[in-house]
Amino acid sequence: MVKNALFNFLTGYEAKRKRLVNKAPKGPLKDFLSVPFPDLNTSINQLSMLAVDFETTGLDAKGDKLLSVGFVAMEQGQIKLNTCYHQIIKTKDLLQENNVIIHHITDEQKNRGEKLRTVIEALLKALAGKVMLVHFSRIERQFLTQACIELYGISPQFPIIDTLVIAKRQLDKRDVAYDPSELRLANLRHKHQLPAHHGHNALNDAIATAELFLAQINTKAKTDKIQLKNLLL
Amino acid sequence: MDIELSEISSFIQSIPPFDSLPKPTIALLIRELSINYLRKGEALPPKGINEPRLYIVRKGALSCLSRNGELISRLGEGDLCTAFCKHDLQNTKQGISNTVFKNQSHVVTDEDSLLYSVENKILADIGNKYPCVNDYFSHNSAERLKQKMSQVNEEAIISSSLMNTSVSNFYHSPVAGIACDESIQQAAIHMTEKGYSCLVVLDNNKSVGIVTDKDIRRRCVAKGIAITTPISEIMTRNMSTIDIKSNAYDALMAMTAKHIHHLPVTQEGDVVGMVTVTDLMNNEGHNAVNFSSIIHKAKNLTELKEISDLLPKLQIRLAKLGSSADHVGKSISAITMAFTKRLIEMAEQRYGQAPVPYAWLAAGSQARQEQLAHSDQDNAIIICNSMKPYDDAWFENLAHFVCDGLANCGFIYCPGDIMATNPKWRQPMRIWQSYFSDWVGTPAPKALLNASVFFDLDTLYGDPSLLKIVRSDMLSKTQSNSLFIAHLTKNALGLRPPLGFFRDFVLKQNGKHKATLDLKHNGIAPIVDLARIYALSQGISAVNTIERIQQAAGTSAITKSSAENLLDAYAFLGMLRVKHQAQKLILVQEADNYLSPKELSKLEREHLKDAFKVIKTLQDSRQASF
Repeated sequence: MVKNALFNFLTGYEAKRKRLVNKAPKGPLKDFLSVPFPDLNTSINQLSMLAVDFETTGLDAKGDKLLSVGFVAMEQGQIKLNTCYHQIIKTKDLLQENNVIIHHITDEQKNRGEKLRTVIEALLKALAGKVMLVHFSRIERQFLTQACIELYGISPQFPIIDTLVIAKRQLDKRDVAYDPSELRLANLRHKHQLPAHHGHNALNDAIATAELFLAQINTKAKTDKIQLKNLLL
Repeated sequence: MDIELSEISSFIQSIPPFDSLPKPTIALLIRELSINYLRKGEALPPKGINEPRLYIVRKGALSCLSRNGELISRLGEGDLCTAFCKHDLQNTKQGISNTVFKNQSHVVTDEDSLLYSVENKILADIGNKYPCVNDYFSHNSAERLKQKMSQVNEEAIISSSLMNTSVSNFYHSPVAGIACDESIQQAAIHMTEKGYSCLVVLDNNKSVGIVTDKDIRRRCVAKGIAITTPISEIMTRNMSTIDIKSNAYDALMAMTAKHIHHLPVTQEGDVVGMVTVTDLMNNEGHNAVNFSSIIHKAKNLTELKEISDLLPKLQIRLAKLGSSADHVGKSISAITMAFTKRLIEMAEQRYGQAPVPYAWLAAGSQARQEQLAHSDQDNAIIICNSMKPYDDAWFENLAHFVCDGLANCGFIYCPGDIMATNPKWRQPMRIWQSYFSDWVGTPAPKALLNASVFFDLDTLYGDPSLLKIVRSDMLSKTQSNSLFIAHLTKNALGLRPPLGFFRDFVLKQNGKHKATLDLKHNGIAPIVDLARIYALSQGISAVNTIERIQQAAGTSAITKSSAENLLDAYAFLGMLRVKHQAQKLILVQEADNYLSPKELSKLEREHLKDAFKVIKTLQDSRQASF
């Protein structure tokens, strides 16, 4: 037990957080890193999480832009809609038509949006001390990291749970070929008999991800035995 | 907010009482929602929630059980679970309670369920601004139903004025009168001068009859009577009148039933004016008067049959006009009466005059004036005691002619053989009296069940005094016989309203479900039965369900407020039935009573549940009184 804790202290994300907090410049990122991450042995039912979703102009964090951010907090298995946040980000580039079709954010809306700095600051504040819950974590991880590098000159650490990975692990375990489209958020929700939702809006997707997560862990045999370390990426 | 939270918002907006809230308030409410996911078999409230909350089923199903494990209700998508919120939001607002409402029921999930919930204090805030939300949670089912019915009546006022307008808005005044000793010619001159088609005949300023220009044509000119003859010779005596306080619809129905076009309006017994069919017709485009007058003119069975084919259309029209079930029932019953009368007239032409006085009786829904298009025929004949055994041949001919004629016009033969063609139901008065004294005096549950239709009788044709005597004799017996009332009650309680709805299923008393709701047997019939019990136990001679309940209100049978609740429930169920049948008739399907829960709006389902509760409460109190 002691050994395990020591191991985590040196190599785990909590150790990395402590090293980073000293490097980070004063401001939102340092504030975020100053709050300890949840303990790895925390029961999943007791965990504080923030379901997050980004809409972007593409898949490349370096070339493409973050368009909007949506998130909602979940405490002890309860999604709190009064913590909802949704914000469109103001960027200089014109939007591509084929992209607008997906996220329905127009240039006009975008020009009335907030600065990237303001939005990332709000996100970091809400995320402090929580685990980030996303569906298909690559986008959120890469774009948030990129934003932090641009804004604060440092690449931080985020504890993440990915509902796509949870679903994938379950499917892989069955050792039967499956169609990768089964892993899409809408299809997984359908499989768990959750109501249809309006996709490609960052907030709707964040709530949809949180609901899916609740359904996923409730299909497992002993929910109260699942700990953060079992699901963390 | 645009598309943000759009599903949640449209979901919440579809649920009463939130459906009446403006969008910004819905948005505020949504921001205060929490979402929980409960595994099958888990109990509410979810772990970690202690404050009173209202739960809304987003997906899944819940069962509410009483303390002893009996299923009270099942909740499906869109249903509200109020077991964990204080019903009195006002109190919560004052910050009294922070503990879970001590409810007696126990709620568990039947499936994995996604639940939305909102704290009481948020609801209370909204309820303060929008009393309709407060009302919804604080009112019991009877009160909610009453609110709904008053809304429905408002709609009816807009869509159809006649039934809610007093006769006083239509009648002509002063009415033109003529002394009874004036000549027919004088009357004709008088009518021509004034431009009236009708005069009230006066004897010492008291009205004794009515004369119309049709009477002058048919009873004077056509018969070659001298125009100097006193007008009293050709006037109609015993004229029908209507009280000035009646509504215009009742005036229309009175004229329809009697094939007359003029109806003197009385105030405290004095004729003060006249209302004509034209006055009313101009107001209501489609009505039953037209129908009755064509029926009256039909020369043979073929013509009657053609007219009867239009009956479903009339019912659709009436339903579309927003008529209440009461008025649809009265209209259709008046028309059935017109058919029956015409057939009896035809029979009398064919077989000659009746050997002795008699009365043609309608039983069941027709007698109660609650008939809908093409229901089955229930009829009987009551004959004067002076009849001789060989007289029955004439009545048998009459019965077959009329019943066959009705069947030809779409009124199917009664499956229980309650028809005048059955010799058992074609008897002199004294036999009818012995029937009733058997049913009442030595009640046998089974026999009573079959006979219940005879406790709702009305004279359609012939001498009304025959039934009057039999009825008053019967009522004097039922009133004092508690064993009879007890047996009747036991039978009536055989039909119980279902517990409510769950998704597309109707929850029966035993918890098993069926895909449809039998509106007639599960909703309307229990009320009709209760009304009959009230009437028979109180000696009330009315047969119409609404009249029976109104007259029984405030007696030992039922309190005034319970009677009002029951009338509301009856009106609501009747409205659903009329609406349902109109839809069926439009699709040229059989106008049945089987309602699929899918046909109902969310709100209608709520009101239906309320109506069932009202019936159940009154049935229970009936049961408890024995």
